[in-house]
Amino acid sequence: MALPKPPKPKAPGLLKGLGVTLNTLAQTVKPKKLGGGAQTVQYPHEKETPPIRARGVIALREDNCTVCMLCARSCPDWCIFIEGHKDLAPPRRAGGAPRKVNKLDRFDIDFALCMYCGICVEVCPFDALFWSPEYEYSEPHIADLLHDKSKLGEWMETVPAAPDLEAGAEKKKGK
Amino acid sequence: MTDLAERDQLSYIAAQAADARLNVELETEGMTLNIGPQHPATHGTLRIIVRLDGEQVVWAEPSCGYMHRGYEKLTEVRTFPQVTTLINRIDWLGSFANEVPFILAAEKLMGIEAPPRAQHIRTILFELSRIANVSLFLGDLGVQLGAVTPVFMAFRDREYVLNLIEAATGGRFHPNFDRIGGLKDDLPVGWIAETKQVMRKLRTFCDEMDDLLFGNEIFQARLRGIGVIPAEVAKQYGLTGANLRASGVDYDLRRDQRLPLAYDKVDWKVWTHPDGDSFARCWIRLQETREATKIVDQLLDSLPSGPVMAKVPRIIKVPEGEAWVSTENPLGEMGYYVVSKGDLGPFRVKIRSASFSNISVVPWVLRGVYVPDIIAILASLYFILGDIDR
Repeated sequence: MALPKPPKPKAPGLLKGLGVTLNTLAQTVKPKKLGGGAQTVQYPHEKETPPIRARGVIALREDNCTVCMLCARSCPDWCIFIEGHKDLAPPRRAGGAPRKVNKLDRFDIDFALCMYCGICVEVCPFDALFWSPEYEYSEPHIADLLHDKSKLGEWMETVPAAPDLEAGAEKKKGK
Repeated sequence: MTDLAERDQLSYIAAQAADARLNVELETEGMTLNIGPQHPATHGTLRIIVRLDGEQVVWAEPSCGYMHRGYEKLTEVRTFPQVTTLINRIDWLGSFANEVPFILAAEKLMGIEAPPRAQHIRTILFELSRIANVSLFLGDLGVQLGAVTPVFMAFRDREYVLNLIEAATGGRFHPNFDRIGGLKDDLPVGWIAETKQVMRKLRTFCDEMDDLLFGNEIFQARLRGIGVIPAEVAKQYGLTGANLRASGVDYDLRRDQRLPLAYDKVDWKVWTHPDGDSFARCWIRLQETREATKIVDQLLDSLPSGPVMAKVPRIIKVPEGEAWVSTENPLGEMGYYVVSKGDLGPFRVKIRSASFSNISVVPWVLRGVYVPDIIAILASLYFILGDIDR
């Protein structure tokens, strides 16, 4: 079988490598307007925007949670802790009986254990959990990575709307 | 084959005989050297014990297990949807490719098949993870041989692919996007156009690598004729993937088996190389990156419309049975043998990862080589430590 031979070096390898280095240097110092600029980002001063679907942190909409425990049970490393109690809510119509509702006492996610798989967000039947692309929540102490329900609620502000789908995709019902 | 092996052996014996008298006079003795287990340049831990006689390796053995995480056992206490989260982390550079054979095995047991659009997107993401994996190899290879420029180029262009994977799945490294019966979600708008642009960039990257690295005299001198694995030996040791094709064996599971993936709908080529040396292994991987960009381009053009999820029950119970599915992953053949007893989770999962079989040839191929060539051979065999120990 005739195989293509690897190409013969056009310039000696050393010169070729130095040429690439010089070209890249020229590309980097060229102003951004002309299509140049560095590939890297000076992180604390400039920030990259992650894509909409990026799995950064989990946000909780507390009102939607019914303490059904589906997320806590389907978590692969069991890093969600939920406690709740039954409560009576005022009736929907005047003169009706008070409704029984589940009230959330505790909803903690331990982000030190979390594997960012997104199964909890996917199984939630009441749209209480969302992904946010926010990523700046590192802590000096590992225990502080346990986010309680108020902190998880704060992330709701950063949740973007789901992106439109590519042509040919089937529209989802209900969403 | 025998010619090469015999020549190696004869030259080794001759060298031994020539050195023997000198060694007796100087009272020298062999040395045992540990390569690893920890090295700042490796992402993972593997120890290779080599016994040296001067600069030559007399005996070598890889000692693995430092990163054993027990995934086969962990899968037994998890449900089927949870398992994909774990197996993402086996070969962490081509994560999506790890999910596909497991999901296909579960689908085989359940008797369902993903819709055509899901099969296409699966194949696209599979090839993208191959590109992400192999482009890191091409950069890393340069570093191992003392060339610093290629690694920056490889990381630059690999970043485009990782951004694509993140935009589609949400995870740069661990997509966890594959579900039993299809995919989690469809592609976001604008993804196809962006992917085509990136594939163009990656073809330029392949040309650059071909010119800069593979055309370099030092690179060729370091790799040509080093670490030759003849076809028979490669088959005996169970090598798969580019390592096997570099020995001249025309075997690629993407082409040679029928799976519900979209490889039969595109026009592509399986590359082989007759030499079987380190250069051939690297060259095959470069060509495969090129082929992968072509596969992705063709699949994007022929992407069918429709749903990405078949009808599956909300709580997945896989019926009783056993299934074996293996695919051609970036590193070679990766397969899952799934045994289900009808529960929510698998009863037993056997994972056949490519790197574990690929490093089994190390004792054979390192015998008689010189110390600087050890690194070149190990780099060209290309294993991911997580894939060895899993």
